[in-house]
Amino acid sequence: MMQDTFDMNRRGMLQNMALLLGVAALPAEALAAPARKAKTYLAPGTYRLLSAVADTFIPRSDSVGALDAKVPARLDALLSRWASAETRGKVISALDRINALSLAQNKKAFAALTPAERAALLRPHDAASLKKVPPPPGAPTTNFFSAVTYVADPGYVKLKDLVITLYYYSEQANGKELEYHHMPGKFQPSLKLTSTSRPALGAGGPI
Amino acid sequence: MFDAIVIGSGMSGGIAAKELCERGLKVLVIERGRKIEHGADYQDSQMPWELPNNNMIPEDELARDYKVQRQCYAVNAATKQFWVKDSEHPYTTPDGKPFAWIRGYHLGGRSIMWGRQSYRLSPQDFEANAKDGFGCDWPIRYDDIAPWYSHIEKFIGVAGSKESLPQLPDGDFIPAFEMNDGEKLFKAAVEAKFPGRKVIIGRNANLSEAQPHHLELGRNTCQNRSICERGCSLGANHTSLSSSLPAAERTGNLTIVTDAIVHSLVQDPKTGKIISVKVIDAKTMVGRTYEAKIFFLNASAIPSAQILLNSRNEANPRGLCNKSDQVGRNLMDHMYALTTAGVMPQYPQDSYYHGRRPTGIYIPRFRNVTEEADGYVRGYGYQGGVMRQGGKPSGSNPGIGQEIKDAGRKFGPWLTYISGFGEMLPNPENRVTLNETRKDKWGMPVLHIDCAQGPNEAKMAKQILVDGKAMIEAAGGKVVSQATEPGPPGLGIHEMGTARMGRDPMTSVFNGFNQAHEAANLFCTDGAVMASSGCQNPSLTYMALTARAADHAVKLMKEGVL
Repeated sequence: MMQDTFDMNRRGMLQNMALLLGVAALPAEALAAPARKAKTYLAPGTYRLLSAVADTFIPRSDSVGALDAKVPARLDALLSRWASAETRGKVISALDRINALSLAQNKKAFAALTPAERAALLRPHDAASLKKVPPPPGAPTTNFFSAVTYVADPGYVKLKDLVITLYYYSEQANGKELEYHHMPGKFQPSLKLTSTSRPALGAGGPI
Repeated sequence: MFDAIVIGSGMSGGIAAKELCERGLKVLVIERGRKIEHGADYQDSQMPWELPNNNMIPEDELARDYKVQRQCYAVNAATKQFWVKDSEHPYTTPDGKPFAWIRGYHLGGRSIMWGRQSYRLSPQDFEANAKDGFGCDWPIRYDDIAPWYSHIEKFIGVAGSKESLPQLPDGDFIPAFEMNDGEKLFKAAVEAKFPGRKVIIGRNANLSEAQPHHLELGRNTCQNRSICERGCSLGANHTSLSSSLPAAERTGNLTIVTDAIVHSLVQDPKTGKIISVKVIDAKTMVGRTYEAKIFFLNASAIPSAQILLNSRNEANPRGLCNKSDQVGRNLMDHMYALTTAGVMPQYPQDSYYHGRRPTGIYIPRFRNVTEEADGYVRGYGYQGGVMRQGGKPSGSNPGIGQEIKDAGRKFGPWLTYISGFGEMLPNPENRVTLNETRKDKWGMPVLHIDCAQGPNEAKMAKQILVDGKAMIEAAGGKVVSQATEPGPPGLGIHEMGTARMGRDPMTSVFNGFNQAHEAANLFCTDGAVMASSGCQNPSLTYMALTARAADHAVKLMKEGVL
């Protein structure tokens, strides 16, 4: 069982408050919580940055957010146990670029910004990072199912993809946002959508 | 001494064991890989987040140990145990001619991870070589094997619809899985626009409704999980572990040894019969020998050729049963990954489906059947599906915060993808040989695989893409991506042809009952014996040939011929 690195009591209390107040993301002081119980692979500052970025990507709203789904701890573990040095470098560099942007624009580390400031900074960065660029010479333009596109900051896409995947494929988010049915039962070929219908998650696999 | 030895426990080996055991023979199955327990050794009960690294194999490990296997769609953390480490099982290829040899060495072999698509070859397929002159004529025709197709379909359970198509004969099916609304629209549009083409539900060896004889073996109705390649604890798909080996085991006639790598077959120079199998213990490297009256070679197409080649001796310097020099030649696969995908903007936005149905749609061959081909022989079919997009958002879609959640909650348009599976011609230059300078860690010569698609395949590949685009557009779709060329040979995971059946001992290795021309008590019934590949997924044919050959072999034994 992976462990989150926040002080769970304090974090839990903050989250409950956030729910009551309808807060979209956790405040900076929560992300900077000093009471760390488990050692992380990432340096503490980078881990706080990752937590802030994940929380900004997928904040708690009417459903759980990335922090509820323990995305930072699980991504930290992936960087330690799954990622190659190249992937690790790409993801950490993408985080560093976000922080550098924050320091340049707000004179504060990204994790020290308010949720609103974080979102305001990340939104244009997201658009710029995902701007389509021509494929490198000789690079494939299709894979098995779809066209392959190339973007300005592939490391940012990797970071975002990992956060999103870990969020949706989590015990905490499952059934609250989208639903993964492990045992669907009889195949039902034709269902009418209703206002509450949501797409199902697939069986999962490599990101 | 055993009555029969079956080399290999995969798709055809499992059936060989079952058929021989059920006819009263004491059978030894020799498996080169480790023992796997049905159910206990599967990771099909875990939720995605319970799997290591969210079901991803560490990237460095993947690059180091699974350089070839990683190309297969089914390789992930939950299935890692079922794929060979390429680093431990090397083979060589010429520069610039890659061959993707996708393998699993364990009890049950690739039957654990197979795609389950199950189609009969047609009368046209068994006559193709004779008609167009490529390869050697099949020594059998469709009618010879038809009852054995039925025999296997009933046993394994093939879900399918009756279509009365001459190029894709109907079988003894259990109820077909149903098409979703998008697929029904696609079918109607394609069949209206192209009267010679049909869109049918894929025929698959998943139990849409388990029959009493399936339940007796502990097999259950499919729950539409589509994680079949992890191993199915429900026994809902046919595998050696869920189905054929338990059937063999309940006769009391079955013995299995695992971790036993077959080194060679030993032939009695006086009688010509095989007398024993030499194996190397995979763990201790110690050699030992097993004896039997008859032998079934079911190691899969490439290893079966390897065993014959490695059984060379002074009298047979080219390898056993190889006076024809056809052992190792005519390696074929199906052209694969020729996919066209398109969105279907006019398909109903208020329709969906529930469950991960373990099959897709199938478009049976129409080129050189109902429609002419432009400068090539044989043909191709398509596998695919029509599905709603949506669900987990992509990181490459712009937006953060609530936009990500909103994107995930939204149903996207319908997407059609169809992927051509093209027939590859038998070509004697596409071959497997023993690498004379390199050995594996058990002291066996590694294989050298020299295989490439030829001009017939190149023309066919182009047409597969043209037809794919035309069908999606005819159904109201807008093509959003298309492959440009087939994947490397091997990636279709339908390798076959390396010790073909035929009438003439000078041009073929096995006869019409899969009996070696040069060793009366040796039978081979895996992909090696295929004289041509058709374009249909081949496992059903391997199993039908196996049951037929086993029946024949036992008759010969009873008659005292063997």
